[in-house]
Amino acid sequence: MPTKNHYAFVIDVTRCIDCRACLVACSVENSVPMDHTRIWVHDQQVQGEWPTLSRVFVPYNCMHCDHPPCTEVCVSGATYKDSTTGLVLVDQEACIGCGYCVEACPYGVRYIDQKRGVVDKCNACVQRLEVGLQPACVATCVGKARMFGDLNDPNSEVSVALQNAKSVTRLDYEKNGTDTDPNIYYLNLAETEGILSSDTFGQVAQTTLPRDPHYTISEEGWKKVAIPLVAVAMGATFLAQAVFFTKQLLEGEKDFED
Amino acid sequence: MPKTELSRLSRRNFLKLGAAAASAFAVGQFIPPPVARAARQSGALDENGSGYISTMCEMCVWRCGVRAKVVEGKVVKLEGNPEHSHSHGKLCARGQAGLMNTYDPDRVLTPLIRVGKRGEGKFRKATWSEALDEVAEAMLKIKNTYGPEAMVFSSTHNLSQPLFENLLYGFGSPNYGTQRSLCFNAMIVSNLITYGMEEPARDYSQLQYLILTGRNLTEAISTSETIDLVDSIARGAKVVYIDPRFTKTASKASEWLPVRPGTDLAFHLAMINVIISEKLYNTSFIDQYTIGFEQVSSAVLSYTPEWAATLTGIEADVIRRIAREFAAAGRYALAHNGWRTSNFINSFPTERAITILNALVGNWGMTMFPAAGEGGGGLGSPPQPPYPRISAQRLDGVPWMYPFVPLKIGVFQQMRDSIVEGKPYEAHGWFISRQNPVLSLPDRQKTLKAFNKMDFIVTMDILMNDTGWFSDVVLPEASYLERYDPLVPLGNQIFIRQPVIEPQGEAKSALWVYKELGTRLGLADFFQYKDEEDYIYQQLAPTGISLDELRLQGGVTVPSSGDSNIFKWSTPSGKVELYSATLQEDNFDPVPAWLDPPQPKAGEFYLLTGKVGQHTQFGTQNNQLLHKYQDVPRLWMAEEAAQNLGLKDWDMVEVTSPVGSVTVALEVTSAIRSDCVYLTPGFGHLSMALRTAYGVGASDSQLHVTYTDPISGGQALSQTFVSVKKA
Repeated sequence: MPTKNHYAFVIDVTRCIDCRACLVACSVENSVPMDHTRIWVHDQQVQGEWPTLSRVFVPYNCMHCDHPPCTEVCVSGATYKDSTTGLVLVDQEACIGCGYCVEACPYGVRYIDQKRGVVDKCNACVQRLEVGLQPACVATCVGKARMFGDLNDPNSEVSVALQNAKSVTRLDYEKNGTDTDPNIYYLNLAETEGILSSDTFGQVAQTTLPRDPHYTISEEGWKKVAIPLVAVAMGATFLAQAVFFTKQLLEGEKDFED
Repeated sequence: MPKTELSRLSRRNFLKLGAAAASAFAVGQFIPPPVARAARQSGALDENGSGYISTMCEMCVWRCGVRAKVVEGKVVKLEGNPEHSHSHGKLCARGQAGLMNTYDPDRVLTPLIRVGKRGEGKFRKATWSEALDEVAEAMLKIKNTYGPEAMVFSSTHNLSQPLFENLLYGFGSPNYGTQRSLCFNAMIVSNLITYGMEEPARDYSQLQYLILTGRNLTEAISTSETIDLVDSIARGAKVVYIDPRFTKTASKASEWLPVRPGTDLAFHLAMINVIISEKLYNTSFIDQYTIGFEQVSSAVLSYTPEWAATLTGIEADVIRRIAREFAAAGRYALAHNGWRTSNFINSFPTERAITILNALVGNWGMTMFPAAGEGGGGLGSPPQPPYPRISAQRLDGVPWMYPFVPLKIGVFQQMRDSIVEGKPYEAHGWFISRQNPVLSLPDRQKTLKAFNKMDFIVTMDILMNDTGWFSDVVLPEASYLERYDPLVPLGNQIFIRQPVIEPQGEAKSALWVYKELGTRLGLADFFQYKDEEDYIYQQLAPTGISLDELRLQGGVTVPSSGDSNIFKWSTPSGKVELYSATLQEDNFDPVPAWLDPPQPKAGEFYLLTGKVGQHTQFGTQNNQLLHKYQDVPRLWMAEEAAQNLGLKDWDMVEVTSPVGSVTVALEVTSAIRSDCVYLTPGFGHLSMALRTAYGVGASDSQLHVTYTDPISGGQALSQTFVSVKKA
């Protein structure tokens, strides 16, 4: 369904230096609890044979999909695709914290805020967009890797970046013939080696616009990798938290079923 | 679009977070906040005390411009100031996390006086007048008994430094410790010798070819320069990165050269050899603006790429190719003179070789410029008398052991050593401001030995850092978001650091503390200002700029006072000195010559040091937001080496040097040479009052052996060799 605006993130992975300013900025802007995060920088780790090494950092967060699996499973209607902006948002007044959407998201970008009993995730800092500011992560991005804007506007920074891109990759997730059509567009990711490579997920395609879901990962693959990916990127403290979180999530769900 | 609940909820949440912390500092909560009142008057805040206030960051020494979002008297978000040339609207992770330093639940918010044994961590709360009386009394007792030189003072690179200098020089002590000898003395002194200035400015706008010698710009972040680097790479500039570690900067570079530690000098000498022997240099620049080309030419004759290859582990053909590429880029090339450059005993000639490489391609006025400087700007200052004459020698050996080290930089580790040895005289008291020598100086055990010799130690900081933990009195400083600092111009601009919230608890600005203490010490004439604002009024008086205007704008542009001729240098010859008669006079090599650094024995590793993008030195590890997003600090070791020792990833290992040992988790990685290990500094805190940082990681200062470069006074921080075994 076309929306008035088509907000999207465009991220140039060659510019990401993994400084994590975006992570801190997001946490402060959105009062993200200390044991959770809304955004990540995935570390592809050191690849290659000494001394020809490479290492690529892939920032990610909610992909604000055109066909979001999370909205379909939401029993309260709290999670919705906004008809004006195209952003996937959570109405936390309506959210009952059941966690179905957390399970349904193939990218693992949602969490349950236990204290508030609601689901939380990246909302592209709508509170900043309303007053004409960029999302906190984009505004402070030291390497200028992160861009955000309206793809319906051909002159927006993101549209221009995509038009001039050497390669554009999306982490598309396909199930039953429908793909998520995510709205994070990666520049220069196709050329890199690493976990997000053909060995793990299938074909890596180099493409330019018009875009097709060229980069499709298997459901099993992503499910297995998503949590550890997050954990590795954050180090062991976070690993413990991720495990704790997953456990809580599973136990929470059991309670719900009982 | 539907308005979400998020912003409201966020605020409520944050205030809850703040309220938990606020219980510790209830004082002042019910007084009408003057900061908010002033900011409302200037128009920065609305009637609810909400809005943006411009100020400057202090999470490292780069001082980015900040716009602080204040909601009802609380700071809730920090943004980079787009008008400030150091931030360009961005803040790094540390800058973003700055408000968590201010709201750290471990903040020290009243003066504290020790009641237990030193290092036991038992203190009682005191009033300011009680604490300052005690400090003044102890300092005067030391002065009257042993002379003013028996008090040593140390503080580092901050805006209140001029008043700190008034305190120590007014008191009559020559003993002034800064951290710089643990950082970039080699770079500073070599630039002074070659260019007559501490650090020329770098310009990336036309840059085509960059050599970074251990300048890990994406992890040791200086926001604007890090942005410049990433932009240059995106533009297609070639970046050669030399480092025994495959850092994040290495991953962005066009070419990474894993040099053997301590041999960067050989690489650069061979570069000079190729450029001169193949006549690839900029003849007109050399002829017009330099002296000593002939002496350098003959000195480097034997330093062929083949010679350097055996030392550095970098192939001769690669060195030759890079020399040719560098020279071909000519004025658009830059050999970066580094940042924390004191690594080996030969770091000074290494830095000298880098300055010469730049001169050979004549990049002055293209990629290198005179430093913008921090002086001038037409600012005034309160009147003050001349300092008393100081006849005592400095304990740090400047200038009597280290003639080339500037007095305001010093040789900190030598000061500590002289205290331990009691030579040339005994020190009895130590005043430490905003610094953590217990963790920063090499050989921590020796630093604690020096502490043990002291009759009296006082530390001023926002936290009970490791140095405060071993002090007799701890003075709570207002954080950078709570106070004014003196103005320091940046080129032709003046930016202000101003409070965006009221100081919490009893915390006070350095301007206030130095004045109050100075008055008690009979030095009131050195602090002729009523309060912080009056100090800044007096600074602004000659400029016609109003404080209100500056407060609202955050920064103003003043007429440029600089000399337009950039092709002159404050060296004895007035030219770029490839050959230095000054060095010759003191029997040091007048042109850089190879100096063989020591090497680890079989079974030992070079212990490398470095930086991570989430922390600054030894002062940010307790920041909960940075803690949240930091990597667990581990000891890096190459796969091959780990295999040989039977060690696995995450094994706890014992690392032993000639002066100490630590236990830390192992990180097996392919990102480091097999003859090296690396430990992120700044962890392994001793202060149990740092509840977030305590117990995390290990301290490399516990391992570092003290080696001082005889010319620059720099501590050779990568010259310690360690053995590693399973713990």
